[in-house]
Amino acid sequence: MNRIRYMVEKEIQQLRRNPVLLRIMIAAPIMQLILLSYAANYEVKNLNIAVVDGDHTTYSQRLVSKFRYLDNFKMTGYLPGDKQARQALLAGDADLVLVIPPHFERDLEKEGNTSVQLLLNAIDGSKAGIANGYATAIVRDFNSDIIAETKVVTPGVVPQLDIENQYWYNPKLEYKTFMVPGVLFELLLLVGGLVSALNIVREKEIGTMEQLNVTPIRKHEFIIGKSIPFVVIGLVLFTIGLLLGRFLFQVPLVGSVALMYVFAVLFLILCVGLGLLISTLAENQQQALFVSFFLLVLFILLSGLFASTENMPVWAQWLNVINPLKYIIEVGRNVMLKGSTFADVSRQFGALAGMAIGLLLLASWRYRKTV
Amino acid sequence: MDAIIIENISKAYSKIPAVSDVSLSVRPGELFGLIGPDGAGKTTLFKMLVTLLLPDKGRATVAGRDVVKDYKALRQLVGYMPGRFSLYPDLSVEENLSFFATVFGTTIKENYHLIQEIYVQLEPFKNRRAGQLSGGMKQKLALCCALIHKPEVLFLDEPTTGVDAVSRKEFWDMLRKLNERGLTTLVSTPYMDEASRCDRIAFMQTGKILAVDQPVAITSRFKKRLYAVRAADTYQLIHDLREAPFTESCYAFGEFLHLTVKSNEGSEQQIGRFLQEKNHRNIEIHAIQPGIEDTFMALMTQTQPTA
Repeated sequence: MNRIRYMVEKEIQQLRRNPVLLRIMIAAPIMQLILLSYAANYEVKNLNIAVVDGDHTTYSQRLVSKFRYLDNFKMTGYLPGDKQARQALLAGDADLVLVIPPHFERDLEKEGNTSVQLLLNAIDGSKAGIANGYATAIVRDFNSDIIAETKVVTPGVVPQLDIENQYWYNPKLEYKTFMVPGVLFELLLLVGGLVSALNIVREKEIGTMEQLNVTPIRKHEFIIGKSIPFVVIGLVLFTIGLLLGRFLFQVPLVGSVALMYVFAVLFLILCVGLGLLISTLAENQQQALFVSFFLLVLFILLSGLFASTENMPVWAQWLNVINPLKYIIEVGRNVMLKGSTFADVSRQFGALAGMAIGLLLLASWRYRKTV
Repeated sequence: MDAIIIENISKAYSKIPAVSDVSLSVRPGELFGLIGPDGAGKTTLFKMLVTLLLPDKGRATVAGRDVVKDYKALRQLVGYMPGRFSLYPDLSVEENLSFFATVFGTTIKENYHLIQEIYVQLEPFKNRRAGQLSGGMKQKLALCCALIHKPEVLFLDEPTTGVDAVSRKEFWDMLRKLNERGLTTLVSTPYMDEASRCDRIAFMQTGKILAVDQPVAITSRFKKRLYAVRAADTYQLIHDLREAPFTESCYAFGEFLHLTVKSNEGSEQQIGRFLQEKNHRNIEIHAIQPGIEDTFMALMTQTQPTA
């Protein structure tokens, strides 16, 4: 037991000797939390829209005017024809082009229907999707205006369904509310996994690992002694992140704070286990860095931090079965925003605990083999 | 019972043998030297003895404990100083020593008498980070850390490699003093001149032990006649002597060449005549007593005729 204490004391002494690292370990993730939550945003503003008006009538003018004076769109002007429209898209002058065909007004009045064309630059698929959504909504709005006007001519009840949306758990559709609980745990992976792997591989590099191996320090004492400082630093970071999320970003914290901490500790142990496993596989810090970085990016991109996991292909969803970040982000969002209780997230708890135990067992088995 | 007993031990790294079928024993209280060039397998042998590597074949006991079965008990009983400086460079001298004392369940105070003579030289720098010490000071700190838990057997892997001549001498004086207190010490070195400071030595080459004896006795195995030869043109001299009919081997040793001659051939006069015929000037030839290096070279060529 005492030897664990001496290991921890030694780690703390070393950390105090390296104040720059300590500061980076705390400051860099916090910066990331702030930047990611502020900068990454799905709201699309200032879309450049150009119009090809083949009709030049009151109706076509009314439709075009609906796109003006909106935050989301910026009118760049009229284009004479399709060819110029394509050029504008190609040159990047316009994000979307609204093409109004000739006889737009006449067809609407005589036939009761007509069509308009939207050309979208879809290199950024999600941006194009959102732009399309906005534009469609405006056209639909225009459409109902027309119907309302013609209703006077044909009296009687026109059956109509009104859809009223209510957004639960994130009523204002705030992107920050969605991001903060996720980023909070992603940061722990950085400190717990990457930094701990590098720390242990460094002991290998400078030969102190060998020196420790000829002492009576037992394997579990080494592992626990190494883990404690990283779990503590991770929890400090988690606390700062939680406070920032609550008070700077106004993210609701509906569920139990204690439950959040239970999961934070569990997740940190898992991360240190992962770092330990990487350190037994890598011979030097470069190798450890590349392996950790590879896993980190994979975990983050598949985790549902940015894009919903349900829409990923089946193989990616299978990969996600062993993605600890996916589970912990689910927990973070559900507990913080919905107020989920332990019973609601017990499936995630089981998965994370299983992975943590698995990683630690695998790491200590590998550790034995390399000695 | 002997302090270290090695029986037919072998270790290979992915089929390349590093130590092959080595047997050796070191008596309690002995200062035993393992002499051999780089790559002879000294470090691999050491790592097996201090429980860092598992032998492929054979067995060994240190302080009466089997290096495989009793490795836990053994770790408390051996002190190991690896060839490369392996302490925490970002911790101070005192912190390093204190850390290694505590993990062995002791304190600096308790065993201070063991390291006192060495540590007094380090004490002025005790708050300095270990990484900022000079080479000689690093070695002293590493030795202190290997001694602080009162080991029964001390393993020093090339402790003087990369250390200046004065520090080397000091280091060997320290080892002798420790040895006088009864500490069994196994020390490896690539330097032949350090062999004479050991009680007994073993020559090691390509994973095998060539000979084990006292430094004085080992030179008596050198049966052939040996001459030191010098002339104005050393390069031409070594070339001519290696071609000479009476020569068995010829190596450069500082300003002289050491020439071994075949039995019944190569008297001083015969060599002199041969060199005069080859137009050498300022010729000097003395018969000399073989040193440890001569013996090692001879043993090496016996086992490897092509070398």
